[in-house]
Amino acid sequence: MSEYIELNNIRKVFKKDNKETVAIDDISLSIKKNELVSILGPSGCGKTTVLRMIAGLVEPTSGEVLVDNVKVIEPGSDRGMVFQDFALFPWRSVRKNIEFGMEVTGVPKEERIARVDKYLNLMGLENFADARVHELSGGMKQRVGLARAMVNNPKVVLMDEPFGALDAQTRNIMQAGLIRILDKTDQTIVFVTHSVDEAVFLSDRIVILTKRPATIKEIITVPWPRPRDRASPEFTALRKRILTELEKENVLN
Amino acid sequence: MKFIYDTENKLHRFGRMLLITAVSLITLIYIWWIAAIIINTPAIPTPDLVWAALLRLFEEGDLQTGLSMWDHMAASLKRFLGGFALAFVVAVPLGLLIGYSRFLDEFTKPMIEVLKPIAPIAWAPVLIFATTLTIGPILVVFVGIFFPLLYNTIFGVKKIESNLIDASKTLGATNGQIFYKVMLPCTTPFIMNGMRIGFGIGWMCIVAAEMIAPLGGGLGYFVSLQSVMSNWPSVFVGLIIISILGLLTTGIVDYAYRVIAKRTGME
Repeated sequence: MSEYIELNNIRKVFKKDNKETVAIDDISLSIKKNELVSILGPSGCGKTTVLRMIAGLVEPTSGEVLVDNVKVIEPGSDRGMVFQDFALFPWRSVRKNIEFGMEVTGVPKEERIARVDKYLNLMGLENFADARVHELSGGMKQRVGLARAMVNNPKVVLMDEPFGALDAQTRNIMQAGLIRILDKTDQTIVFVTHSVDEAVFLSDRIVILTKRPATIKEIITVPWPRPRDRASPEFTALRKRILTELEKENVLN
Repeated sequence: MKFIYDTENKLHRFGRMLLITAVSLITLIYIWWIAAIIINTPAIPTPDLVWAALLRLFEEGDLQTGLSMWDHMAASLKRFLGGFALAFVVAVPLGLLIGYSRFLDEFTKPMIEVLKPIAPIAWAPVLIFATTLTIGPILVVFVGIFFPLLYNTIFGVKKIESNLIDASKTLGATNGQIFYKVMLPCTTPFIMNGMRIGFGIGWMCIVAAEMIAPLGGGLGYFVSLQSVMSNWPSVFVGLIIISILGLLTTGIVDYAYRVIAKRTGME
């Protein structure tokens, strides 16, 4: 498998009132095609900033991000993003939300309808195509968010704590749903989360960041096929190990 | 028999509202009637005299100018809509720009703050003298609607969630597409709210401006003329029409606001 996404010596420094804060200090990371990599770290360590740099929404102070050998300089539809607060367009129906990306990039109408239909099916939203966003539950909203990002056939889907705003039960359902979708689509995903359980349940590899300034503390490969059994001894053991690592990065220590 | 009011029943809620409104307005008429008798001045005629004047005016028109009441209403509405149209085409694009650009916002803020406290009608003599009797009153309405529309538009742009802009960027939208497909729909309910406030102010402005600029009819002109002639019942007819037309214009934009807010899911 080829190196698909490359972060080369990424640094991000925020300047405010002549004070410099190093948010991210020298991160290098390679992600392969069809891989699901999650980024885990203490709150406020800059996980989301890393994701936004891949999206092209934040520019690194130094270093570069390559996606499929092309340097990232601005946002584009080849890097879809899923937001914690969904960021759906409230004046558009579910169908029109999913269609937005194809509409702005000029995909012909018939193809748009066919592709939206496919994703409505995949996400189990067939009966909600014409519903408005405010009529949907949180889980359904995020399925729309995921469909909206994936329908453009992006090289990578960047997920920023996508299930963070959902209750525990919905969260588990959404994680299982994501695994089913991955079986069918081979999508490359970078997934930011603060839930160790979620990371172990979903990821091929888990990147653990240190507290600010963030560097890579450890990269853990999760060898088991999905779907995984949360109650298995290996699962629990890995979870515990990562939690211990994170505990050391706790800002209060 | 006992009437049981059911809060869940739409018909009951509507009936209740209708009943309360009717009783409230009848009470107002009685207060007016009693006050007119107690104060006992020709300037406050009793409702029956005003009703008679109203019937006569709608039948014969206004004998002083030869205009019908409909002509007066049309004249006021035309000016009002002219002022509104002008305010809309200036305030909305300007508001979008100011809301979008931090520099423009900082630069125009002192100007807006200085001009805002001036009652629009205070501009009437200046605007009417500087232009013409025809254009002046329209400009007064323009000033009245312009400011609420402008700062509601600015506010609307500032309230746009940055995540929506980010989302549209990651979906491949260009700046122009972000403006038309995201910023504009996000701001629409705020623009409508500005119109809602502006309509109320604008309507007051046009009546007041017409009292200063007596040309080509209009309700303000009618009221002013009738009071000079001491036709007090006719003056009151003018006041009643002003109230009803004001309620209608603001009612229409209020309804449109609620429909749009609901459609855009921005309630």
